[in-house]
Amino acid sequence: MSKEFGFWVVVAREVRRMHSRPLYGLSIICAPLFCYIFFTTLMREGLPQGLPAGVVDEDNTAVSRSILRNLDSYQQTEIIRQYANFAEAREAMQKNEIYGFFYIPKGTQELASSQRQPTISIYTNATYLIPSSLLYRDMKTMAIMASAAVGREVLFAKGANMDQAMGFLQPIQMDMHALNNPWLNYNVYLSNTMLPAVLVLMVLMVTCFSIHTELKDDTAREWMEISGDNVLKAVSAKLFPQTLMFSLMALIYLVLLYGVLDFPDHNGFWPMLLAAELLILASQGFAVFIASAIPSLRWSLSLCTLWGVLSIPISGFSFPVMGMPEALQALSYLFPLRYYFLIYVDQALNGISMVYSAWFYLALLAFTILPLVDISMLRKAAHNYTYLP
Amino acid sequence: MWFKDMLDVSGKELRKTVSDVGVLVFFIIVPLLYPLLYAYLYGREVVREVPVAVVDDCRSTTSREFIRKSDATPDLKVISYCADMEEARNLIHRHKAYGIIYIPAEFEKTLAEGRQATINLYCDMSGLLYYKALLSGCTMVSLDMNRDIQMVRLSGLSDWEKDVMTMPIENEYVTMFNPANGFQGFLIPAVLILVLQQTLVLGVAMMAGTENERRRKGELILGSEYDNPITVLGGKALAYLLVYGFTATYVLCFVPWLFNMPQLWQLPTLVAFIVPFLLASIFFAISISFFVRDRESCFLLFVFVSVPLIFMSGISWPTSNMPSFWRTLAQLFPSTHGVNGFARINTAGALLQDVRHECLALWIQTAVYFMLSLLIYERMYRSEKMPGFEFVLAVRTRVRKDLREVKRDLKAVRSHLKK
Repeated sequence: MSKEFGFWVVVAREVRRMHSRPLYGLSIICAPLFCYIFFTTLMREGLPQGLPAGVVDEDNTAVSRSILRNLDSYQQTEIIRQYANFAEAREAMQKNEIYGFFYIPKGTQELASSQRQPTISIYTNATYLIPSSLLYRDMKTMAIMASAAVGREVLFAKGANMDQAMGFLQPIQMDMHALNNPWLNYNVYLSNTMLPAVLVLMVLMVTCFSIHTELKDDTAREWMEISGDNVLKAVSAKLFPQTLMFSLMALIYLVLLYGVLDFPDHNGFWPMLLAAELLILASQGFAVFIASAIPSLRWSLSLCTLWGVLSIPISGFSFPVMGMPEALQALSYLFPLRYYFLIYVDQALNGISMVYSAWFYLALLAFTILPLVDISMLRKAAHNYTYLP
Repeated sequence: MWFKDMLDVSGKELRKTVSDVGVLVFFIIVPLLYPLLYAYLYGREVVREVPVAVVDDCRSTTSREFIRKSDATPDLKVISYCADMEEARNLIHRHKAYGIIYIPAEFEKTLAEGRQATINLYCDMSGLLYYKALLSGCTMVSLDMNRDIQMVRLSGLSDWEKDVMTMPIENEYVTMFNPANGFQGFLIPAVLILVLQQTLVLGVAMMAGTENERRRKGELILGSEYDNPITVLGGKALAYLLVYGFTATYVLCFVPWLFNMPQLWQLPTLVAFIVPFLLASIFFAISISFFVRDRESCFLLFVFVSVPLIFMSGISWPTSNMPSFWRTLAQLFPSTHGVNGFARINTAGALLQDVRHECLALWIQTAVYFMLSLLIYERMYRSEKMPGFEFVLAVRTRVRKDLREVKRDLKAVRSHLKK
């Protein structure tokens, strides 16, 4: 048997194996595809609109009603109901009917007319953090505007123009620029990392699973034999068809995100394609490393699963790494997805020179060649291993 | 009689659970450690001291005051004073800073003229928490300074300005139920519920997979108590409920207590809610475990589902803004109602009547998944008692295995002879 021949024999054998079990199709194609569709359609609004909120007016005077009138008409907040008292509004919140409410206490007009500052309160249900934060932003502005509206009227009546009025009411104003995602689009913010995260999880599990089922089904010796007892060739040939399929899945999400949905991708397609391809190779490398180091299907698969699931929070795209405990900050360097996320920020989101991301690309490459350290253990296992459930 | 049988099955199932390390990992070790890891990860709740770069083209007393005060907020930390925007942008590109405060040259002059002056903020959007920190930090400082400026102007005493000052209405902000307004308080309750459901699914599926493997090899023989599917399902459910009574107590009560998270539940409400949740999860797990062919495929089939499930619960992206298709699909999973109910019972102190919708849904799920597993069980075991498909498969597998062994022996003998 020539060497070249051996490689393709193993590839063909692997294709047959994958074809014979629907499990592979389910986990390589269906699972990621489902998540692609799920996440991109779930958040298709980008930023939640018309979040339900309420209002409690215990004062019920001309002043409080004028505040109420000014609270309306914001795109993200919809005041759906007025509640009679605080307890009723709180209960509505506990029942999940509203995410927040304004509270105008009794005596607001009295305080206002006697030149003592009345206070209106904003309550949001922070059990649901995203709607709560968004409502807060809107409601705070509403409250300030309502207050300013009253003040502005007086200034206008005294003959001030708009410039002068605003210059007095709000001498310093903030002008916020959200770089490269000015819509605060949650779909952009989450899907860009969530889709590859699911793919990484599947790559880690499938790679580990497919290697160890050889040991479990007692076919590992045959596998080694037809690859000329060259473990490196055996593994790379076995994983080759999987790499192709996962690359196709990566291509699908790249086209979906940057082609169909037109998410920001400032440096074009190639840097991200390179990153996605390296991410898959890195994940495969990491899984082979684990599979070789731990000669037990269950334990190595458990570890790969843990790594895949944990890479979602620890890559820091929703909760920043710098807010985590130091031990976990250090640990985040051991997750391929972390580097992919950093590359995405540089290349797709901010569109800066690839020089800035060179280290992250290299880190992914390092994961790819990681198995060289311990792959010989796999060869040993293939020859001597007996499966224990 | 059936009751004794049920206890019998239950006992066997418990013994099987304890003797199978793989299942024990799912039932005990994962629920024991995983919540701790997550709670630890989000332990600091929010990001503090987000590094920002400053470009001060004004270089006046007021602009410096603004910078000093921003630096003093818990949200922000000024790490560099840059000569121009280019330099500041470079800091963002190197992930050293996540925001830029830019004060234009005419800032002080505009203020002195009594017009509105603008400060420009630029935020790196790799994380929304940076945005939140930059905006809320700077807004706080500007409100504070605005007040001072108004005071100074009022001391100049013009009547109409004073009139205005009689009107402003204060506002205050209260985040209810999650006092730190952070990630731990919002995400952990959802993670806890999801850990319970998913470990149940994985553990039960692993056992079912093992059973299927053994049945294919013709190793598994069932006793007479397995004739009645209700006894079997009841017995199994009882066994899992016993184990998860302890697991759930640890996960839902001990973990939040350990991390000082809000715990506003009242015991009757919590119990009345968690029991249907566990039952629904158990029968859900049993129903889908029938589709698992072997021991380890549960990893590949069910782990990734956790990710969409946590989003389906509506704890992150609000349910009110979900496409109706996903909202409907979400109704199928116990975790959706479990997360919503538990988050409100635990964090918002809701009572049973506040979560009656979720509670009812869980009971309905319990009934539906019980019937479903009954149906599948009956069909599967009927087919086994007859020497049908399963039997043929078992024989085939055994013969193949024997043949393989014979082949190997032959080879060994041959190589021995050659020597």
